[in-house]
Amino acid sequence: MKPGKIETRVGFLILLVLCGIAAGIAIKQTRYDESIFTIALSKDAPSSSMPEAAGTTPDLQEYLPAGMVSMTPMETFGPETLSEKIDGKAELYLSAGFLNLRCQRFAEAGKPDRWLELYVYDMGSTRNAYSVFSTQRRADAGDATFVEFAYQTANALFFLHGRHYVEVIAASDRMAEILLAVGENFTRENPEDTEAMSEVALFPKASLVPDSIALLAENVFGFSGLNNTFIAHYTLSGTELTAFLSPRQSDREARGAAMAYHQFLLENGGVEAAMTAAIPEARLVRIFDTFELFFVHGIYLAGVHEAESKELAEELASNLRKTLVEATP
Amino acid sequence: MKPTKESSAIDRRQFLERSAKAGIAIAGVSLLGYALYDPLGPVASETDTGGIVRLPSFSLAESGPRMAIATGADRVSSINLAFKAIGGIDAFIKQGDRVLIKVNAAFATPPFLCATTNPELLAEVCRLCFKAGASSVIITDNPINNPESCFALSGIGESARSVGADLILPKDSFFKPTTVAGGTLIKNWPMLYAPFQGVNKLIGIAPVKDHHRSGASMSMKNWYGLIGGRRNIFHQNINDFIMELGLMVKPTLVILDGTMTMMTNGPTGGSLSDLKATNTMIVSTDQVAADAFGATLLGRTARDLPYLQKAEAEGVGTIDFELLRPVRVQAV
Repeated sequence: MKPGKIETRVGFLILLVLCGIAAGIAIKQTRYDESIFTIALSKDAPSSSMPEAAGTTPDLQEYLPAGMVSMTPMETFGPETLSEKIDGKAELYLSAGFLNLRCQRFAEAGKPDRWLELYVYDMGSTRNAYSVFSTQRRADAGDATFVEFAYQTANALFFLHGRHYVEVIAASDRMAEILLAVGENFTRENPEDTEAMSEVALFPKASLVPDSIALLAENVFGFSGLNNTFIAHYTLSGTELTAFLSPRQSDREARGAAMAYHQFLLENGGVEAAMTAAIPEARLVRIFDTFELFFVHGIYLAGVHEAESKELAEELASNLRKTLVEATP
Repeated sequence: MKPTKESSAIDRRQFLERSAKAGIAIAGVSLLGYALYDPLGPVASETDTGGIVRLPSFSLAESGPRMAIATGADRVSSINLAFKAIGGIDAFIKQGDRVLIKVNAAFATPPFLCATTNPELLAEVCRLCFKAGASSVIITDNPINNPESCFALSGIGESARSVGADLILPKDSFFKPTTVAGGTLIKNWPMLYAPFQGVNKLIGIAPVKDHHRSGASMSMKNWYGLIGGRRNIFHQNINDFIMELGLMVKPTLVILDGTMTMMTNGPTGGSLSDLKATNTMIVSTDQVAADAFGATLLGRTARDLPYLQKAEAEGVGTIDFELLRPVRVQAV
């Protein structure tokens, strides 16, 4: 039977109300507030979705020399909470594979002004730890010799050991011996292997700026397609240059990375330039009055970044290729 | 089987009964919806339900754009010189004013690492405010680290107490939701609001620092410390966020301390070797202009800092600081 007029109108009214409710929900959803609807995270709990961090030390007191007492309890931060400790620098660690940070303040007994803070970053691997160690290296620092990768400034000690990157920062520039003692205690209490950074030896030694080699974890030279790249600074004929070396998984991947980088440069205003030097599989791109020279050798994408002189770029790239050929024929 | 007329038809009584039930159901749902309706939308748990708040403009139209750049290694001398160059602090702070000073107390680090507002500089600015007739001076920030530790170890807490300023540490109940008009990020987001109650002048004091995400942390980035909640999510869109902070806060003036500039490894630093003596103190009514000049202390230009260009485009200020005809003075 065909429904009556009133029945039809009531039916439409119900549908109208339902549509109104749906519209209300849709409008409400557009006002989503991430400050409220996010999972509350404990400072003490790293993300359960991340690989487990090494070490379950109850606090960091065991690394301190006698006479140092704790000022604060140990704090622990995971990937989601790291920025609560180091703010905008967290991204540097997160992009390098950060797992966990433990930190704690200590002071000399009876001398509260002589305090230090110990930061122990578990980066998951030596390579990850090397990335954050090398990219933050202070230029005028002095070497500390108790481990391979360490340096000391007037008020701080920075080193990597195994999968850990460690900072010991003092509130005074007269605590150098205590800082060193902390470093030595840490390495002694945590016997772990520090993986060799074999790529470091592939850079030519001539004209290399000391301690300038660094490992960039991602978004290298502003290109999101390039990660895991070592850079090294050189001074040739009084001009600063940057060489780079990016190990890929295979020859094919290296060539693919070179093509992608080439495309990236062209899309951002680069133009092909003619080369004088004979470097196999090399490309030279002029971009914003600088030269980008890169080539592929085996699994490596290598080259020179933002050189002001084409001749110097070719000279450094030739040296780099020669070292690569000798090391990986 | 074809339905008979008796089995398929409903009579008038049945129709009215069904209509009444449907009506009751609709009315019930409507009443329930009305009871649950929240005209404000979600409100942060830290806040009252008093609605969205917005900071008034603390800028002084009558003073016009002013900027001073003082050079010298001593902060106290530099700030006095800078104020003198633009008419004295009396041009900004009047008898009976209630002043809020937003410091950078983000980290629990000692003053000599220059990751936070210098306590000697803060004390001198407080003294100058009181001398100009301020009835009260409030110091506040919502630090990254534990507030008590930050204010104690940075020396800011003691500095405030030593000159009779009121120190306000953040509590959950001090935050209220705010929305930046024209913004896309700061919408119904908790802001440290309670310290602003009764305040009629606002001064920001920040050090010049490198920043891993935004390139620099100076006057505009300093307002980040007024934001609550899970604010770290804004790091993904840091330049737009700092621009919106500039829209959110219109200070009376900003003081940018470039006496020691954190050139590398900011914003935390950690080593004296991250610092460089740049011996410059900037006082400006235009926060964009102050930061544009501050960028030069970092060896950069305003063009290297996207947030400054965005802020200028939104009318927050000008990156061409020379338009303010800055008065340059040098300590003897």
